[in-house]
Amino acid sequence: MITEHQEELACLYVFGLLEGAELAAFETLTGQDIELQHYVDGLRETANRLAHIAPEVDLPPQLKERILNQVIVKTETAKVIPFRPMAYLGWAAAACFALVALWAGRMYTITQTENSILRQQQELADTTLRSLQNQSQSELILTAHELDDAKRQIAELNLQLQDQADLARFKIAPLTSLLGNSPEAIAVAVWNPDQQQGVLSVEKLPALAANQDYQLWVVDPQYPIPVDGGLFQVDPVTGHARIKFHANKPIKTVAKFAVSLERKGGVPKAEGPMVLLSQ
Amino acid sequence: MLVNTCCLPAITAHLRGVVVLRSRMSNTNQPSPDRSAHNLEDARLMQRVARGDRSAFAQIYDRFSRPLFATALRILNDSAEAEDVLQEVFLSLWEKSADFNQQRGSAFSWAVTLTRNRSIDRIRMRQRRGVLLSQSVPEDLGYAGPDDSADSTADLESKETAAKVRTAVKGLPAEQQKALQLAFFSGMTQQEIATTLREPLGTIKARIRRGLLKLRENFALQQ
Repeated sequence: MITEHQEELACLYVFGLLEGAELAAFETLTGQDIELQHYVDGLRETANRLAHIAPEVDLPPQLKERILNQVIVKTETAKVIPFRPMAYLGWAAAACFALVALWAGRMYTITQTENSILRQQQELADTTLRSLQNQSQSELILTAHELDDAKRQIAELNLQLQDQADLARFKIAPLTSLLGNSPEAIAVAVWNPDQQQGVLSVEKLPALAANQDYQLWVVDPQYPIPVDGGLFQVDPVTGHARIKFHANKPIKTVAKFAVSLERKGGVPKAEGPMVLLSQ
Repeated sequence: MLVNTCCLPAITAHLRGVVVLRSRMSNTNQPSPDRSAHNLEDARLMQRVARGDRSAFAQIYDRFSRPLFATALRILNDSAEAEDVLQEVFLSLWEKSADFNQQRGSAFSWAVTLTRNRSIDRIRMRQRRGVLLSQSVPEDLGYAGPDDSADSTADLESKETAAKVRTAVKGLPAEQQKALQLAFFSGMTQQEIATTLREPLGTIKARIRRGLLKLRENFALQQ
């Protein structure tokens, strides 16, 4: 049963005169009421016949052709091709294959690019590593050289220190002439206590007779008599001699050196005149 | 109660007329046989259009274009815009022909609804409704048709239908005619119609309702 109010709403509705909430409510109502919907359809049919009372005019001459052409264009552009799955199977497979190939190609390209980048990075890393290794090696070599130098210097220093220490321990004693006929005669004796040996250098000693030798003596307080240091002769012209000598007994402390003129072959205990004597 | 027997034939004829009218009124949603055949033909053409039949579409154009263009022009008062609307409407009919539901109304009514909606949308979009409305309110429903010497069959049918509709409309009280014309062609709201006609809103609603129902009766009487 359609009420008068619904009738009025239906009349306004078919002219598009309902708005907002009123429109929404009425559309909801017609959606639920078939009778009302049918009634509205009938009213719309009546209302739309009012189109015939519009003052008639001539239609634009080209309008029909234009509209029909537009429809043709639309039809051509939006032509629906009937779906035949089997007919498209080949194309679908080809499309899938193309897509897969495209994807694989893309993946290959990406992988190649990544590989190339990684190779470049690796080469760079290798180069850096080699450079660092070379640098390290160079530094190592330099360091080794420096170490060797340092070791050498240390060794030299040690030797110098050793020498200095040795020298410190050496007994160096100048000997002066006790001879009236050759007062300018001079000698220097150096004694190394560690090696129990020494060096004697003399100048301007008088030349010896054929049956004579000069004999060196080392005076050590632990012995009652000077210890024999050996025989030597001098150059008859210059009176020069340089000899290495050993004491025939272990020397603990050198008190003095002395040189005496003895018979050929020497004596165990000084007999002849003292020629040189240290202070 | 005494009844003058000489008046019986007239009374009988009057009662028969009332019965016929009531019978027709009970089926006001049913179109006349002519109208029904016309609508059926339109529906068949629309089915062919839905299948992509261009010749059917051309026939639909011939049957609908004149009243649709007149309606669009009447609403828009601009020939170029009316042409555009007509073009859009026919394109919609072509594209949406498969959606046409004969049970909900005739194809012509559907096309008129499309034409009105698009025309009114344009009016509102242009925002110069006031000017247009003043230009578009008709002074009368006089038929100012063009030279009809070369009218096609479709044109003749259209003119015949138009004449019937005008007759039915002219059978309404003048204030109802005015209210229906504004409701159909102006694109105004209820309130704007009321303001234009300087009547209360309730009066306008009642006029539209009574006018449309009366028009339906008049169409039914034409059958």
